[in-house]
This record gives sequence, C-alpha cells and structure tokens, in this order.
Amino acid sequence: MDGPKVRKAPVVWWAGGLLLGLTLVLAITVKKPLGVSTQFVVAESVAMREMGGKYAEFATNHPVIGDKKQATTQAAATQQAATTQVGKTVPNKKYGKLGYSFWLVVGMIGGAFLAAVFSGRWRLSVSTVWWAASGRGAFSRLLFGFVGGVLILLGARLAHGCTSGQLASGWAQLSLSAGPFTVALFAFGMLAARIFYPKVPEIER
Amino acid sequence: MYVAAIDFGTLDVATLALPLSIGGLFGAALYLSGLADPDKIIGTLRLKDFHAMRTIAVFVLVGMAGTWVLGLTGQANLDVKPLTLLTVLAGGALLGLGFGMTGYCPGTGLACAAAGRFDALITVVGMFGGALVYLLIYPYVVPAMEGVADYGKARMPETFGVDAQWLVLGIVGVGTLLLWITKPRKKAADELAA
Repeated sequence: MDGPKVRKAPVVWWAGGLLLGLTLVLAITVKKPLGVSTQFVVAESVAMREMGGKYAEFATNHPVIGDKKQATTQAAATQQAATTQVGKTVPNKKYGKLGYSFWLVVGMIGGAFLAAVFSGRWRLSVSTVWWAASGRGAFSRLLFGFVGGVLILLGARLAHGCTSGQLASGWAQLSLSAGPFTVALFAFGMLAARIFYPKVPEIER
Repeated sequence: MYVAAIDFGTLDVATLALPLSIGGLFGAALYLSGLADPDKIIGTLRLKDFHAMRTIAVFVLVGMAGTWVLGLTGQANLDVKPLTLLTVLAGGALLGLGFGMTGYCPGTGLACAAAGRFDALITVVGMFGGALVYLLIYPYVVPAMEGVADYGKARMPETFGVDAQWLVLGIVGVGTLLLWITKPRKKAADELAA
C-alpha cells in the first residue's frame, strides 16, 4: 500500500502509560480522580443559567443540574440545621458554577496543544489515516464524527463516566462499575471499528 | 453581554494553578502517549496495533498501584461511581460505538481538537449535543433505568470478599507479566539496519 502511514506515538507505550498513571495518582492525592465528561454538562448548565428566561428555568429545575430544595417537610428541615427552611433552594454545587474539574479540563486542552506544538506535530487535518484507508472522504468523517460525538457523551453520562472517569479512575479505585463498563466499551468499540474501518493501512512500527 | 455575568467560581491564581497544571500534565500525557491519536485507538480496537492498548494497560496498572499506596497513608481522595448495571452497560455500549466510529473519547476529543484535528472539533460539537440529549431525556428515562440492578457505590474488595492489597497485587502482577511476555520486539531487519 502506498497511502499515508499511521505514525508512531511520540513516546514509547510504557513511558506514556507511566506518565498518565502518575498524573492520575497525583490528581487523586491533591483533590480527586480525573474525569472529563461531566464538564460538558457543567458548561451547558452554566450557559443555560446565563441565558436566562426559559433556559435558566429548565436548568434550575432539572433533577440533575437544578438547584436543590433544602427540605420538603418541616420535620426534615428541623432535623437538618437551624438555618434550613422548607422549600428554600440552594445553588447546585457541582453544576451551578465552573469549578476545579472544569479548570482541569481547560488545562488539559492547553497541555495537549503545547505537547502537539513542542513535539513538532501540530497540524491542521480533517480526517485520519484509518478513515482514508477505507476509501472514505473528509465530509463523511465530519458527519460520522458529529454523530459519534453525540453517542460518546450521551453514553458517558448514562454510565457515570467516560474513559477517564470510569475506565482509568474506576479501575484505580477498584470500583465495581469499572468491570461491566470496560466490557461494554471495548465490545461495542471493536464492533463499530470493524464496521467503519474495514481496510487496514500501513502502520509504522 | 451574557458572558460578563458568567459565574466563574473563585478566579484567583491559587485556585486555578492546581487544576490548570494537573490538567495540563494530563493533556500533554494524553498527546505524547498516543492515546490522543484516533489512528492509534482504531488500530487497537481493530487488534492491528497494540500501542494504545498497552499504554492504557500501564495507565490503569500504575494508577491502581499508586492509588493503593496512597490509601495506605490515608491520602487517597476517592470518588467511587455507583454501579447501576443497566445504565453502565447501555452507556458503555453507546460510548463504545462512538469511540469505535471516531477514535475519540471525551478527553482525547478535546485534546485532538487542540492538536489541530478539525474532525475532532466536530466530534466535540457532537458531544455538547449528546450532553444536551442526556439532560433532555433524563427525567423520562434515566431514573427508571438506574433503578434496575442498582448496586450502589460498590467496590471490588467488599463485593468479592478479597482484601484490596491482594486484588491490586494480583491484577498488577498478572498485568505486568502479560505486558512483559507480549512485549513488542524489534524485527531482526531493524537490528541489522541499526
């Protein structure tokens, strides 16, 4: 084959894995495990609140991103604290503002940008070697890229985490959920890859 | 302007330095390791290029061993996710389909967009759409699904009745051994050329 080759990664597998693993351990030491997918919802929640009107109403009343009622009955309110009032709402701590995990994702984008630039690999591109090897063009790449993106985040939120939060952080903490998540992720990932990438390009070893 | 009114939380250097630097390290590691390269991910899912699989394995094993050590000194800030079996399986499957279609996941999609991949940027736009779909369907679908086979924030040691140290030792030991046995070797031709 004379098409473009799949390039080697900038660093060898064990070094890349070690760097990622140590970053995860550092994150757990300092604050909490790594996670990305929640922040897409946080960004939308904050944006909706800022847009006001029916958008803000949707966000503040939503069961996940909405503001929480402190207590629904007087008995529960008395039990909690002196300041607790029936029906009084408190802002949603996780989804009401941009917090630590949001800035971690911003840092991640910056870190990837700098790594790409300094490794001399930053390059504008619209498709991939594997996609092109199966004779598919840039337009279909973008179309299926969009659809795939919808599936990725819908799935990640349903599963309470993505490849960072469930796979890496999940196994590190010995979460029971990491097991079935990993099986489902790779089974369906391999199925989709087989359908969408039937031809194998040349791979630099 | 709405932008001016956005609640950015506490915006000072002391608060931002930590998440920005840990995130920066994570993003750089994702890029340098090749996980933020859809060709490497698809190669692994097609079982033709094991670089990404080996990298993920080391990532998980180092993370697991390190987290266990942290736990011994009481410094681990864990955040265990609940196992609601139906949503974890359905979500994992949907994420898997998108992952196998694009070669991206939420973290690497953002990282790849930052590295100049326009298709990754479109996938990120799709991800915002997916987050919106989740919020819209949530009240009608998710609580009912989460009620099916809900095991709570369960961890493997308690569930299997095995001490964490033996689980970690076992998984890290067997994993390291497998990585060692299947270690990619340079072809003889490469050695002659070098």
